[in-house]
Amino acid sequence: MEMINAEIFTLTYGSMVRQLIADHEDVEEVNAQLDKMGFSIGQRLIDEYLAKSKTQRCSDFRETADRIAKVGFKMFLNTTATVANWNAEGTECSLILEDNPLTDFVELPEQLGALKYSNLLCGVIRGALEMVNMDVECAFVRDVLRGDDVYEIRLKLLSSSTEAYPFKDDD
Amino acid sequence: MGKNRECAESCIDYLALALVHHYRTQGQGPSLQAALDAVGERTGRQLAERYARDRPPLLDQLEAVKFVCKEFWGEVFRKAVDNLRTNHRGTFVLRDTQFRWLVRLAQNQMPAQVGQPLPAPLSKADLAADFLVLPCALVRGALAQLGWDVAVTADATSLPQVDFTLVIRQQPQR
Amino acid sequence: MTFYIFNRKGRCQYYHEWQRLKPVRQGAGSQEEDFKLMFGLCWSMRALATAIDPKSPSMKQMGAPMRIGDGCSFNSIKTSSFKLQFLESPSGLKASWRMPGSGGQPCWGAGCFVLTTDPSVGSMVEQLQYIYASLFVELVVKNPLYTPGEPFLFEPFSAALNKYMRALGLLS
Repeated sequence: MEMINAEIFTLTYGSMVRQLIADHEDVEEVNAQLDKMGFSIGQRLIDEYLAKSKTQRCSDFRETADRIAKVGFKMFLNTTATVANWNAEGTECSLILEDNPLTDFVELPEQLGALKYSNLLCGVIRGALEMVNMDVECAFVRDVLRGDDVYEIRLKLLSSSTEAYPFKDDD
Repeated sequence: MGKNRECAESCIDYLALALVHHYRTQGQGPSLQAALDAVGERTGRQLAERYARDRPPLLDQLEAVKFVCKEFWGEVFRKAVDNLRTNHRGTFVLRDTQFRWLVRLAQNQMPAQVGQPLPAPLSKADLAADFLVLPCALVRGALAQLGWDVAVTADATSLPQVDFTLVIRQQPQR
Repeated sequence: MTFYIFNRKGRCQYYHEWQRLKPVRQGAGSQEEDFKLMFGLCWSMRALATAIDPKSPSMKQMGAPMRIGDGCSFNSIKTSSFKLQFLESPSGLKASWRMPGSGGQPCWGAGCFVLTTDPSVGSMVEQLQYIYASLFVELVVKNPLYTPGEPFLFEPFSAALNKYMRALGLLS
């Protein structure tokens, strides 16, 4: 991967979030737009991830979560996450980030308490996994910008569809 | 903090692309031009502030433009400007023969449906227009941070070569 | 020699033929039918390979739906007159027909790359991997005017593909 100084990315992202806040009165709408933009990024980024990491197929959701945390975050953001807090069924877990490049240089004013500043990341994960047929819910549940000690993204597998021949037999 | 932090170059590619797609599809709110102008100018100011932090103020036109051509271009667009021309009356043309942000831009020549005619070819300038708003605004913001009020336009007729024209409108207050 | 890129839904996104002695009309009948046949062949090969895989602990019946991660892939099929070289994106041929409750129109990225060559040509796994990572990702996925999953014809990609095939000595 070609690496660059992260400043240009981090500052453009911050400037974009400010613009979205100016565009929308409702902070929830800003969160939704960030997620939506991330989703479309994820749909592209998945091929770069798969092609360049030379990942073999993931056998289950556990392995998928692990790859996102260890390989995906490393490859694009040069940081890693840890996977924790699995539920008993193995369908829900948390990605814990101690270090989040998006929030360098950022402090949130109090009136933006509901802003999920890094919500783009959730959209990216959702978009990327959708492309490999995993339908997930993804949300920030802890955020250093809002006073927590780490960033925590909760990841919930809703359905992972089976492979089926896409054309009808008589087609 | 952040000084030596790195991320993949793709991150900024994807973000710039998502910004254009987002504002192209917004029914209300600011136009793409207005929104990306604001996003880019703010970012350009912040970047110039960082890059020029430890140097004396650039009070000479040419010095300021050269700073943009070398340091700023190098950091943001990942190479130096290839050619700089000026009419010595406040207009500068910066030529980047391989403008990295748009080097992969190409029209899809696939007909929408099999058997339909090929799409009419669009000029490179038209294809690139929306994607050049952010780079122009970054440059304008950087110069604004240095105290220069500059109008920036870009000509992508010969993509991947892009010519950026800077017209200096106001000198900084001494 | 022909080259296909199918998206994860089995739709042909890109097709190029360098040499095809028998016109498609005398083969599959139409270009669309040719795409479907080719995808069907790859799909069936994979299902077949999975069904007879002696190493797989799961007992899959031929044609039974496969979960993600199940299944084994193949690299090539060699016949007396041509060889079909195959690369599946690790996320693979995840056709979505039975996908429950996903709202909106999903988009799809590359699912598999298929290259037909002379039977004497050796393994092209690494070359197809290069086409995926360096040509498809760089010149298609990162082209702002590409819509994931949609058919495309980008001059820089076609040119780079030709150049690469020539460098490999596959084109005269």
